[in-house]
Amino acid sequence: MKYIIALIVSLFVLIKMNAQPNCEAYKYNGDTLKYKACKKAEEIKGHYQFSRIFQQKLDEAIKIDSTFAYAYREKSVAYLKSGNFITWKTLIDKAVKFDPKDNLGYRGWCRYQFFRDYKGAIKDIEKLDSLVAYDLGTSVNGDYHLNIAKAICYKAIGQKQKAIKIIENQLISKDYYVGIFDYFHLGVWYLEDNQFKKSLKTFKKQLIENDLAEVHYYMALTYKKLKDFSNYKKQLEIAKTMYIENKVLFDGYTHHFDKIYLKDIEDEIKTTYNKVYKQ
Amino acid sequence: MNKIIILSLILSLFWNCQSQENISIKKEYPRWIGDIKKNNSDNPNFELCNGENNVKQYFNNSQGLEYYGGKTKILKEFNNNFVPSTKQNQNGIIRIRFIVNCKGEIGMFRIIEADNNYKEFKFDNKITNQLLKITKTLNDWIPKEIRNKEIDYYQYLIFKITNGNINEILP
Repeated sequence: MKYIIALIVSLFVLIKMNAQPNCEAYKYNGDTLKYKACKKAEEIKGHYQFSRIFQQKLDEAIKIDSTFAYAYREKSVAYLKSGNFITWKTLIDKAVKFDPKDNLGYRGWCRYQFFRDYKGAIKDIEKLDSLVAYDLGTSVNGDYHLNIAKAICYKAIGQKQKAIKIIENQLISKDYYVGIFDYFHLGVWYLEDNQFKKSLKTFKKQLIENDLAEVHYYMALTYKKLKDFSNYKKQLEIAKTMYIENKVLFDGYTHHFDKIYLKDIEDEIKTTYNKVYKQ
Repeated sequence: MNKIIILSLILSLFWNCQSQENISIKKEYPRWIGDIKKNNSDNPNFELCNGENNVKQYFNNSQGLEYYGGKTKILKEFNNNFVPSTKQNQNGIIRIRFIVNCKGEIGMFRIIEADNNYKEFKFDNKITNQLLKITKTLNDWIPKEIRNKEIDYYQYLIFKITNGNINEILP
């Protein structure tokens, strides 16, 4: 049930974040130029992000109002998804310049997700945090709260303790709705930090949120450290079965942090697992 | 007679407008952002199954990167075969984009390079040549289908380079 609610929340976020701006709001505020640009941008509806017409409609919107951030951001998406980081960055920088509060979090997330630009992502998310008094919200795909994304980036640049602290604080923050991978990452980092009991406790929470092959793999590694070989074996077997059934961390564009592959499970079986059970 | 002349003028005006529209469209954007046109440097034997106007993106079938043996196999190829450059200041990001045809064959490779600030940057040829050479040896791409139709698709590999070595590979 919780997972379904999380999915609905994610979808809502996705729809909200990909939604067109409310053109009438510009009109109401007396910004007729932005209103006209916004109405022009509405014509992209039904056109593929990569298509010529999609780009041209947004160019026309920019011609009406060269400070219309939404148009730059929408134009940038095709470049992002095709890996053209140079053009993407030029466009998204303009979106950030003209509307930092709406675009800093998005740019930060994309820097992490598509280009593993950890330092750049941290900078953007922290800048946003300094500008707004409200909750930062989630990544554009709804998978992570931006503070959790920031924690991942700190972990990636070697600041594990800081990363752990950020997630711990986020998990106890008021009204926070736990993300579908939060406990997974925290569990992995506890394991790497030799906090095995905490790690297992956290993985068990993750299983309730979102049961994945990777969680069982890391649970197995934790049991191995605790020399509990019965549970080690059990978790490794579950991990392999679930991996084959495709119950894994998945991102349609790139891969998740702390992701493992079937080969990692098979290698573990070939080494420690077989050694222990041959004895 | 006058009517014919006027009609011809109107028609020619209409024709001119249409031509200009087409020219400006072609000048600005391809069919899809990032479309690759075959050129003389491409392998002449590499063929698309559905033509240049029907090449999709790797994520269009919602399965992401698909390679027999998984991404681990790709990582292994680069780990085993890439020799780091000792040249100074080799930091940034390199993308190699190419097409996987409906048979899983690859071709039409294009490279872009940038520093860590996303500004164009020319890496040591030793790095880019190796990346391209190893990429070309990857021959286990899984052919993709959309609605039971085999497709040709764009795939890319992004290499994060730190001190002349590969730090990470995406997607």
